[in-house]
Amino acid sequence: MFSNILFSIAKKEFMDNIRNKWVLILSVIFAILTIVFSLFGSIFGTGWQDIQGTVSSMIAIVQIFIPIIAIILGYSAIIGEIERGSMSSLLALPTTRLEVLVGKLFGLGSILAVSILIGFGIAGVIIAVNIPNPDIVGFLIFIGATILLGLVFLSMALFFSTLFKKRSSAIGGAIFLWILFIMIIPMIVQGLLIAEVGIEPLMTGEKVQIPDWYYGAQLVDPGSVYNSLIALTIGSMSTPGNPLQITYPSYYSSGLMTLIFIIWIAIFFVLAYWRFSKKDI
Amino acid sequence: MITKTVECRYCKSDFTVTGNPGEKLSIPCFNCNKKNVVTFSDKGGEFVESVPVSYALEVSGLVKIYKNVKAVDNISFKVRKGEVFGFLGPNGAGKTTTIKSMLDLIHGDAGQITINGLDVRINGKEAKKLVGYLPEKVAFYDNLTALQNLLFYAEMKHASKDECKVLIEEFGLGDAVKKKVGTFSKGMVQRLGVARTLLGNPPIYILDEPTEGLDARGVVLIRNKIKELKQQGATIFVSSHILSEIQAVCDRVGIISKGVLVAQDTVAELSKKLNLKPKLTLELEKVSDAVVDAIKKISGIYDVKTIGCMIHVVCDSNISAKVIVAIVNAGGNIVNLQTQTPSLEEVFLKYTEE
Ligand SMILES: Nc1ncnc2c1ncn2[C@@H]1O[C@H](COP(=O)(O)OP(=O)(O)OP(=O)(O)O)[C@@H](O)[C@H]1O
Ligand SMILES: [Mg+2]
Repeated sequence: MFSNILFSIAKKEFMDNIRNKWVLILSVIFAILTIVFSLFGSIFGTGWQDIQGTVSSMIAIVQIFIPIIAIILGYSAIIGEIERGSMSSLLALPTTRLEVLVGKLFGLGSILAVSILIGFGIAGVIIAVNIPNPDIVGFLIFIGATILLGLVFLSMALFFSTLFKKRSSAIGGAIFLWILFIMIIPMIVQGLLIAEVGIEPLMTGEKVQIPDWYYGAQLVDPGSVYNSLIALTIGSMSTPGNPLQITYPSYYSSGLMTLIFIIWIAIFFVLAYWRFSKKDI
Repeated sequence: MITKTVECRYCKSDFTVTGNPGEKLSIPCFNCNKKNVVTFSDKGGEFVESVPVSYALEVSGLVKIYKNVKAVDNISFKVRKGEVFGFLGPNGAGKTTTIKSMLDLIHGDAGQITINGLDVRINGKEAKKLVGYLPEKVAFYDNLTALQNLLFYAEMKHASKDECKVLIEEFGLGDAVKKKVGTFSKGMVQRLGVARTLLGNPPIYILDEPTEGLDARGVVLIRNKIKELKQQGATIFVSSHILSEIQAVCDRVGIISKGVLVAQDTVAELSKKLNLKPKLTLELEKVSDAVVDAIKKISGIYDVKTIGCMIHVVCDSNISAKVIVAIVNAGGNIVNLQTQTPSLEEVFLKYTEE
C-alpha cells in the first residue's frame, strides 16, 4: 500500500514537471555540450577526445549546472503546492507527510536522472561510435556520479522548500546555499591551503606536503566530492575549476565519496521532513 | 462480583472481566485494546456487541493560536453519524482553522480530534480514508487536465476512471474533460473540486464553503447533492455564509464567533432559546386606530408596527388566528397575509453580535 501511494505521488510529480519543458531542453543542451567538449575539449586535440578527456573537461561545468537544475526542480515542490493551494487536498488524501515527501523526491529525482541519462547518454553513444575502445563503464560512472550530485542538491532544495513561507524566499535560500557550496566553501578552502603552503609550489607542481585538514574539508563540499569520485574511478585529472595538483590520501575511496553523497541526501531529507511534518498548511 | 474469561470480538484473544450482576460495561480488550461491551448476567460475563462509535466527528478543546490571534479558542463539538452539521460564523471567526485542524493540516496548540473514533494526529491515514474534503481554496495541478487531475486523486482513494468521468459529467464539466485545469474559470474549478470530494464515495464529508463562487445552478447542484448524500446515510460537516442554504439542509448548526463556539443546536431550538418570535405581516385595505388597539389587547403580542397599509405583528405562533379575528371584528379588511418563522439569519446575527 505504502509503495502504491508513493508511486502515485511520484508519477504525478513526474508528469506535472516534465512539462517544465526546459528541463528537457537542458538535457538537449547537455548532450550538445558533451559532444562539443569531446570534439574541441583539448586545445591541442583534433577530432574526438576519449571518454576520460571529455569527462574531465566537462566536470567543471556539470558541477555548476546540475545543482542549478536540481534546485529549480525542487525549490517549489512543497511551498509551491502550499501557495497554489493544492497541498491541502493532497494531504487530505489517505497519505502521510512522509509519503508525500518521499514521493516528491522520487518523482523529481527521476526527472533529474532521466534528463541526465538522456543528455549524457546520447552524447556518450555518439562519442563511443567515433573513438576506438571507449571506456563505457567509466562514462556510466560519470553519469551515476552526476545523478548523485543532482540528488544532493534536489534534497537540499526540498528542505528549503519546507523552510520558507514563500516560494521566492525558498529559491533565494537555495541559491544562497548553492553559491555557498559551489563557490564560497571551495574558495575558502583553497585560500586557506594557499595561505598555508604558499602559491608557488602549487603552480609549479613542486612536491609539497598538503595538510590533512584540507582533505577533510574537501569532503564537506559536494562539488569536490563529485570531483574526487570521478577522479578515483575514471582516473586522476586536473580540471580548469580545480587547477591545484593534488594526490588523494589513502582513505579517499569511491565508496567513501558515494557514502558522503548519500549522507548529504539523507541529512537534507531528514531536515525537510522535520520541517514539513510541523508545518501548517 | 462476577469474574469471567471472555473472548474479544476483534482479535479473538481471551481476557478476564469483572462486574456486578446486571451491569453492562464497555471494556477494552487487554490484547488489542478495542472496546467490547460485556453484560454481566447471573451466569457470568457474556458479549453483546461492540461499542458502536456513535460520533463521526469529535472535536474537543481545540485551541489554535497564531502569533497574536487566538483563531480557535477551546472549541468542542460532536457530529453524529448521518447528521448534517452546519458550521457558521462571520469572516475570520475561525471556521477554516477548525476545519483544517480536523484534517490534520493545521496542528492545534491543544485539543483532540477524532474521525470515526480515530485520532487524526495518530491514525491520520486511516481517518482520512473516511473523509471527502473540500478545501476553502480549491486548487488543482494546472498543467494536468480535469480528468488527469481526478485520476490522480482517484488512485489514492481507490476510485475508478469511470467514476471520475461520471462525476465530471455530473458537475457540468463534460466539455472540459480534456482541458487543462489552468484554463478553468473559478466556478469550474470549484465544481471540479466538489467532484474530487465525492471520489471513492466516503461516509464523511467536510466541506468548507462549498457554494463559494458557484452560479445559481451550481448552488442547487450542491444542495441537492448534500440531500442525496444525507439520504445515503453520509455525515456532512459544512461551513457556509449562505444561511438560507444551510437552514434548508442542516440537522444542527454550530455558530462560531471570534474563535469561540457560541451556540450549537437545531435552528428551531436556537430560536427558542433566543426567544425569537414569528412575525405576522398583514396588508389591509385601510389601517385604523381601532384595528391596532384591538390587536394590542390580545395577550401574547410583543410588538405591533404599522407602515402605510401594512401591519407587522410579533407574537407567539399560536395566536395568529386570534389576531386575524380581532382585525376582522374591528372592521378591518385583510387583503394579504404572511407569516415568517425566525430565520437562521436572525439567530446568526443575534449570536455573533458585536
Ligand atoms: N496563517 C495564519 N497566520 C496568522 N493568522 C491567521 C492565519 N490563518 C488564519 N489566521 C487568523 O485566524 C482567524 C480565523 O481565520 P479563519 O480563516 O479560520 O476564519 P474563517 O472563519 O474561515 O473566515 P472566512 O469566513 O473569511 O473564511 C482570523 O483572525 C485570521 O486572521
Ligand atoms: Mg474560511
